[in-house]
Amino acid sequence: MKPFHILITLLITIVAVVCFAQKAWAFCGFYVAKADTKLYNQASQVVIARNGDRTILTMANDYQGDVKDFALVVPVPVVLQQDQVNVGDPQIIEHLDAFSAPRLVEYFDPDPCNRPMYRSSAAAPGNTRGGGTRGGAEDESDLGVTVESRFSVGEYDILILSARESNGLETWLKRNGYRIPKGANQLLRPYIRQNMKFFVAKVNLEKFEAGGYQFLRPLQMAYESPRFMLPIRLGMVNATSEQDLIVYVLSPKGQAEITNYRTVNVPTDSEIPVFVKNEFSDFYKAMFQTAYTREGKKVAFREYAWDMGSCDPCSAEPLNSEELKKAGVFWLTPSEPNNVFITRLHVRYTRDKFPEDLMFQETSNTQQFQGRYILRHPFSGEMKCQAGREYQRSLMQRFEQEAQTLAKLTEWKIQDIRKKTNVTSSQTAPWWRTIWP
Amino acid sequence: MKVIRALRWAMLRQDPRNYQILFLSLFLLLGIGTRDWTLRPDLILVVMVTCLLTQWVAVSIWSNPKEKILDSLTKKQTCNTELESNLASSPKLLSLKSAMITALGLSLLLRADHYTTMMLAGSLAILSKFLFQVERKHFFNPANFGIIAALIFTGDAWVSPGQWGDDGWYALLFAGTGGLVLKRVGRWDTTATFLGAYALLEAIRNIWLGWTWDVYCHRLMSGSLLLFALFMITDPRSIPNARISRLLWAGSIAVVTFILRNQFFVSTAVFWALFALSPLSVLLDYIWSAPRFSWLSPPPNVDRCSVENKAADTESEQYSKV
Repeated sequence: MKPFHILITLLITIVAVVCFAQKAWAFCGFYVAKADTKLYNQASQVVIARNGDRTILTMANDYQGDVKDFALVVPVPVVLQQDQVNVGDPQIIEHLDAFSAPRLVEYFDPDPCNRPMYRSSAAAPGNTRGGGTRGGAEDESDLGVTVESRFSVGEYDILILSARESNGLETWLKRNGYRIPKGANQLLRPYIRQNMKFFVAKVNLEKFEAGGYQFLRPLQMAYESPRFMLPIRLGMVNATSEQDLIVYVLSPKGQAEITNYRTVNVPTDSEIPVFVKNEFSDFYKAMFQTAYTREGKKVAFREYAWDMGSCDPCSAEPLNSEELKKAGVFWLTPSEPNNVFITRLHVRYTRDKFPEDLMFQETSNTQQFQGRYILRHPFSGEMKCQAGREYQRSLMQRFEQEAQTLAKLTEWKIQDIRKKTNVTSSQTAPWWRTIWP
Repeated sequence: MKVIRALRWAMLRQDPRNYQILFLSLFLLLGIGTRDWTLRPDLILVVMVTCLLTQWVAVSIWSNPKEKILDSLTKKQTCNTELESNLASSPKLLSLKSAMITALGLSLLLRADHYTTMMLAGSLAILSKFLFQVERKHFFNPANFGIIAALIFTGDAWVSPGQWGDDGWYALLFAGTGGLVLKRVGRWDTTATFLGAYALLEAIRNIWLGWTWDVYCHRLMSGSLLLFALFMITDPRSIPNARISRLLWAGSIAVVTFILRNQFFVSTAVFWALFALSPLSVLLDYIWSAPRFSWLSPPPNVDRCSVENKAADTESEQYSKV
């Protein structure tokens, strides 16, 4: 027993000592500014369409600085050639976002004096934004940096670099006019050692202007590799706070999940006061933050998992075959029905809680899940029957319950919620409104 | 009678399988309660019923020759040790404990969409004990066999390595409860070797890659890895008998796991490693075996009581882990 005890004690001690790491902080890559523009990438969106080892990765941009300063460096598992890179359609990502966003559902109570029917209406989209990236180039072999390929796609100039050691890569990038964030050197090394390549993109201003684009369009890359991962670590170099990453995984099999962090469902199916309808995005933000904090800030949240063929209720129409193809789905055949399962994962990460890159796996889990919040409008007409009086009494209890649910989900003050709930419920139309048309 | 009852109670408490069942049930409840796994109670029920039924049927069919010896001896009542004869009279019931442990292990680890997958996993897990035997010792860990069978033969099974997360108190809980069982089973060396070797390999990789140590820590703190190390590879029924063999064996599993995980990016690396190396225990037992095997084939000239005692020992060691 002794050695066992010693081993366990040792393990626990190591874990305890090592786990308190210093802070530093984004996403797949880091922004590399050529000027001192204040850059930050707070939210990113990535679409991963994967079947077997084949992957099409789409990275969306929410880059807000000057386009000429945009540069992106992303570790990629293999050397990519020109025909493996494509510029995607930003609307597709918006559509995916809208389709999979957490939603509000509202129901209207029937007249308790006259039992039948209810109707439902759907949908309010959540809030997410895209993320972005970039890089630049010339080669000097004495630095151990090789330009594996160099090409232009759309408005982007792209280089695929391989390197022997991180100092060389850092020097190379600096010499070629890329401002590398402090501390990036150390982070480049693990990727170099794992024999990964670096995808470096920057904007070709002439083409960008000639194209008349308003924003940077998403970059797509197709490759084949058993690595099913997203390198988030590099992106944490120049981010200062918590960062949001929305990953849409499209698979022919079923749900995707993260293998090295817990994947947790967002709270769902809660009945909340009707006033939330007007402040749904505030509600969702607060609720997400609460759930995130409660889980120790170290889990990935599943916001949506559904077969792409349907939705209930729909916050947007499902993507059609053409749109799916644009989103990277490459396994569709015209003769067969679309077999695409979408998983929307929302990861809010910081350097200290997410030390390791995200590793994924696809599973055959076809259980459907959606973040869904329910509003139940009380019946507002006149009720003269006994059942009506009972219904009205029950309403107070229901409002209180809804208020408490909301307070629990969002950590908003219960007094404030009660105030708002009362305001809303007293706003029901006066009885005479219903007499004359 | 009182003494016998007390003895029996003491023996039941001695049976590490009881602890196993208790702890695994606790983990299952914890998982459902605090880790919001989307576990389906119906699937848990299905796998339990399948495992218990298969065990019952299989024990009936492959009635152990040793038990026959035992039965014939007890019938003659030449020994007055009521305790052993009592225990030996219900070997089937006792062996159900092992099946229960396998079922709990499968419920904890394996996920599936359909009943049939769970039934396949449960029945093959138990049958593997009877089908893959050398010298009447099965060499596949039943739950591990069930998991691999489900992964290979069905399209809808999966394992969620991230389901426990990396909370420190889970590590403590697993280590504590695992330690309790290992103390009784005497197989802590296997866990220590596996974890030690794996931790060492990951440490070397971490240094070579230049990752910070929190990456290392995060990789090792995985609840699933600890659960595997403490509750699965320590199954005394299927792992090598001699300590030296166990050390070699556990070390090899660590190496294979490391390679599968880091070179081939297999998220279920530990299960494949254990599965692939299970047959190695036969070879290892062959090389370093002699004293350990004494209870498997009782020497011919031993008096009946000692045979009976040995048989009872054999049965009480029929615990089979996760």
